[in-house]
Amino acid sequence: MFATFDKYRHAFLVGLQSNLVYRWNFAVRGFFSLFHLAAVFILWGAAFTGAGKGIGGFSLNQTLTYFVTLLVLQFFISAFNEDYQISEEIRNGLINQFLLKPINYFGYRFSIFVAARLVSGALVIAPILVALPVLHSHLTFPHESWRIALGLPAMFLSAVIQFSIAYIFGLLAFWFLEIQGFVILSMAIESVLGGQMFPLDLLPPAVYHVARLLPFYYQMYFPGAIFAGRITDIGEVVQGLVIQVAWALVLLAIGGILWVRGLRRHTAVGG
Amino acid sequence: MLRYFQIWLATARYSIVRTLMFRADFFIWSLVELFWMSVNLLTVSVIYEHTQSIAGWNKYEMILLLGTSMLIQRFLMGFFWSSIFEMGRNVRTGNFDFFLAQPGNVMFMATTRKLDPDGLVNSVVAAGIVVYALRQLHIHPSVGDVLLYIVMIGCGLVIHYSILVMSISLVFWLTSAQGVEGTYFAMTEFSRMPREAFKGFATKALFVWLLPVVVVSNAPARTILRQFDWTLVAWLGGVAVLWFGLAVGVFHAGLRRYTSASS
Repeated sequence: MFATFDKYRHAFLVGLQSNLVYRWNFAVRGFFSLFHLAAVFILWGAAFTGAGKGIGGFSLNQTLTYFVTLLVLQFFISAFNEDYQISEEIRNGLINQFLLKPINYFGYRFSIFVAARLVSGALVIAPILVALPVLHSHLTFPHESWRIALGLPAMFLSAVIQFSIAYIFGLLAFWFLEIQGFVILSMAIESVLGGQMFPLDLLPPAVYHVARLLPFYYQMYFPGAIFAGRITDIGEVVQGLVIQVAWALVLLAIGGILWVRGLRRHTAVGG
Repeated sequence: MLRYFQIWLATARYSIVRTLMFRADFFIWSLVELFWMSVNLLTVSVIYEHTQSIAGWNKYEMILLLGTSMLIQRFLMGFFWSSIFEMGRNVRTGNFDFFLAQPGNVMFMATTRKLDPDGLVNSVVAAGIVVYALRQLHIHPSVGDVLLYIVMIGCGLVIHYSILVMSISLVFWLTSAQGVEGTYFAMTEFSRMPREAFKGFATKALFVWLLPVVVVSNAPARTILRQFDWTLVAWLGGVAVLWFGLAVGVFHAGLRRYTSASS
């Protein structure tokens, strides 16, 4: 049991070290995301002025808080280029070494993903601190303690869903030579249905209810909406957690099936 | 001039033949761009479900602005994007020697080598969005207005091209121009917003005047929506000349530092 855990602990530590090498990349990316935040502030500021009252029952500051929360979450739980890394390992044959070792490839990759997100998550704090004098007066987080208690597991499950989707796309390299097109196509869908373009509760009610059943909702929007107060009903959060667990299991199962099927097609060349 | 046009035609022919060889790839990437355009359109539609105006622009005026911004971006993607980004890689690997050996202006050769038909196909969709918005607004522009709009789109294209060439030329000094792509897309987010939304001196100075991505899309849209404004046209033309001059200067200064990387 401990030996198994130890293997992945080492993978995690190696992941931590290799991601710290790219600390400047993450830091620069973090600082550039402030531009995105500036665009959000300008666009939504103008939209709220035009509306004259709140939008979707929320104030401008509540909406801006939502976008800031999403930005921070993105650095803590989003899959950045894990799909590309996995597809490259398959294409280059680097995956062969994992077939000969007593290590689970998903577990190994997930350990590295957790390490990478800890590094990128820690590094996004710096630009947020720089922008804090401007942001401070706009941030209005709700105070209920259940939001932390339910938001943290939702955040973890979102990370599992994010990684599982990236893993599934990466494994497509067993069948396709080039997967970047699929990845960016899915990013477009995820950016809308994951709530990155606008809070999903602004969608017409019928569309919102359908979106709540899709995995994209649980990739980012769900924990973001809990922390930022866009979801006000605790019952809705508990129900969401159940759907989120179901999606995490479904995606993990799909990843498992693709791995087994993909290996059947895989040809390891060289010695 | 005619010789350069013939060279460009030859590279365009090569790019189209290449695209026909990888048809599935062309289909997927066209779909990618189409999806991202739809994402932006959907965002505008959802926001306007809850508000009447954004900085004085109504829904269809905003869609026209979005279409204009997309049109410039699609042309940039279609005509120059791949070549300019490959330039960054080629300088690092030493493959840039290939362009130095060609009988023509190096900047022209390096930045026009590849055409991306998927970007160009979607420029038709972007133009369709502009026409749709105009119809919804019951605006019937004259031939002169349309010509002026096209000229301004051309100026916008020159400005975006110049900014991109200058950014990628940094590779001559830094060896790596990673992150430029992300930075460019962060900038284009501002090009989809009305100029009036930018309040405060610092914001205006940075996004409207220093980096003219906002004016580049706002000026043609405003011309076709409101009225012909000479100062706006002259300003855009002047800025295009200025940025192009800067790009040529920076590129050639960088070129003098290029030492190749082969053994």
